[in-house]
Amino acid sequence: MKHPSQATLALHAGGDLGPFARWRVDRHLTDCDQCREEVAKYGDLREVLPELGEMPEVAWSRLSAEMQANIRLGLAAGECVRAGEAPSRWSLFTGARAAVALASVVALLVTGLMIERPMPRPNWRNEGIVVQRVPNGIQVREGGQALQLMNPSAPHQQVTYSVGAQGSLRARFVDQETGNVTFNTVYVEE
Amino acid sequence: MRRVSLVAALSALCLCAQDVPLDSPNAVKINLKADSPVALLSASMGESRATARGAALMLDLHMALSLRNTTPNRIRGVVLRVVSQEVAVGGKASVSVPSLNVGPGEAFPIRIDLQLMRPTQQAAGGPLVEVDLDGVLFQDFSFYGPDRLNSQRSLTAWEMEAQRDRDHFKKILAQYGPEGLRQEMLTSLARQAERPQLDVRLVRRRAVSGVAVSSEHTAQFAFLKFPDSPVEPLEGWAELSGNEAHAPRVQVRNNSSKTVKYVELAWLVSDEKGQQYVAASLPASKPDLYLPPGQTARVLQDSELHFTRNGEPVNIRQMAGFVSQVEFADGKVWVPNRQNLESNALLRVLNPSPEEQRLSDLYRKKGLQALQEELRKF
Repeated sequence: MKHPSQATLALHAGGDLGPFARWRVDRHLTDCDQCREEVAKYGDLREVLPELGEMPEVAWSRLSAEMQANIRLGLAAGECVRAGEAPSRWSLFTGARAAVALASVVALLVTGLMIERPMPRPNWRNEGIVVQRVPNGIQVREGGQALQLMNPSAPHQQVTYSVGAQGSLRARFVDQETGNVTFNTVYVEE
Repeated sequence: MRRVSLVAALSALCLCAQDVPLDSPNAVKINLKADSPVALLSASMGESRATARGAALMLDLHMALSLRNTTPNRIRGVVLRVVSQEVAVGGKASVSVPSLNVGPGEAFPIRIDLQLMRPTQQAAGGPLVEVDLDGVLFQDFSFYGPDRLNSQRSLTAWEMEAQRDRDHFKKILAQYGPEGLRQEMLTSLARQAERPQLDVRLVRRRAVSGVAVSSEHTAQFAFLKFPDSPVEPLEGWAELSGNEAHAPRVQVRNNSSKTVKYVELAWLVSDEKGQQYVAASLPASKPDLYLPPGQTARVLQDSELHFTRNGEPVNIRQMAGFVSQVEFADGKVWVPNRQNLESNALLRVLNPSPEEQRLSDLYRKKGLQALQEELRKF
């Protein structure tokens, strides 16, 4: 099975894909647990890290110039090892090299869009301390920081969760390796 | 020096936006006192990694600990406290393993799978995670440990439930033979599979946040009362608003002849279709509760619960509750007996005890013979 790229999954998690691309990724996600988990992780990150929308100033023009220089350097180095063949004016921009250069530019643009795109700020700053389930585990979080206890060895259906109203959340499961019942607990502590 | 190198590695990771394996012994510190009843045989960090994702640093810790019982007493349960001071909100968690049967000199494994997320700007100093022993319960109900997480009470209650349920299954075996035990196990497994489960998200707001919680109406608890319960719930309310509930408070009276120092109620909720779920456990709010015979006290919590199922909000229509655990001043613990749970059809709604879950899992994986042999060990 061919998996979508990480950038595509990240865009999907943020609802930033076009209709056709989204439809294709949705189809893939229905059959692929691995990618679904990746999308969930990107979703979690977006939720807990609104600082993503507050990246410090980046010198894009300098970054772009450095990347172009690196691409030119790589292409020139390739030409050096191809002895006896006189390069034509356009030969540097044909075939696989052109594809690599184009892919680099696209990757740069996609990354730039992902980082630069303004995101709506969730109101977690006012939410306080939260304990909740996350994929394969339980979490206590406040703002951009979180502590999670995972239960990777237990099938999802066989994990039971219980909340203590004083501020705790428990996940209970039978550890598949040891056969022991295990309680993972996270606590709110002010 | 090693701590400095750990900090340097994590800082470099942040700059390079890559991931690095976390195998430094300084990433995790395991504290066991000299008089600890368990000794650390080995600690493996396996596939632990630190990964930079955007502006976040994610630490993925997978620890496999092997501990040995160094006492002449059999161990019935262990609680490990896991602390990461780097994370706000205290960064506190625990891993508890009840229903153990570890003899003197025997070893047993405990796994800890932990993830920490924090902004990359935050500096690391000292170990990322510290693990220490919060408590060990022995066969004779004696206890060792600092008990900062009330592990003695939890382990004692789980062991009381374990004895109750083992006795139940032994009686079934004696009365109806192996086929009766098989039927009982199948019933238990079916109940566990069909038991409805809510996603409950708990929010504790900061006092200074100034966020008002909307309240639609005040709902009253309906109580199930067990004849042998030492504590009786008298009346109780909570504020309901759609799929949110907050500020539950319950008045209870000590009907026993002994002083009570802890009470816990099970809080059940019903949705619009009448489907009943376990919402939460509702413990007494005061850590220093002192409830003499005949006296009353109020169980009050300041939490906000949000209920969903399969991602959809579940609106709460009714609430019920019953006393699920009582600890007396002498350290003894009361839990409801099996007849009380069966006669009120609560077994369909409640989680099985840890021991019932372990035994039914053993039956599912290894069959009836293995289950009978396990019951004979106790």
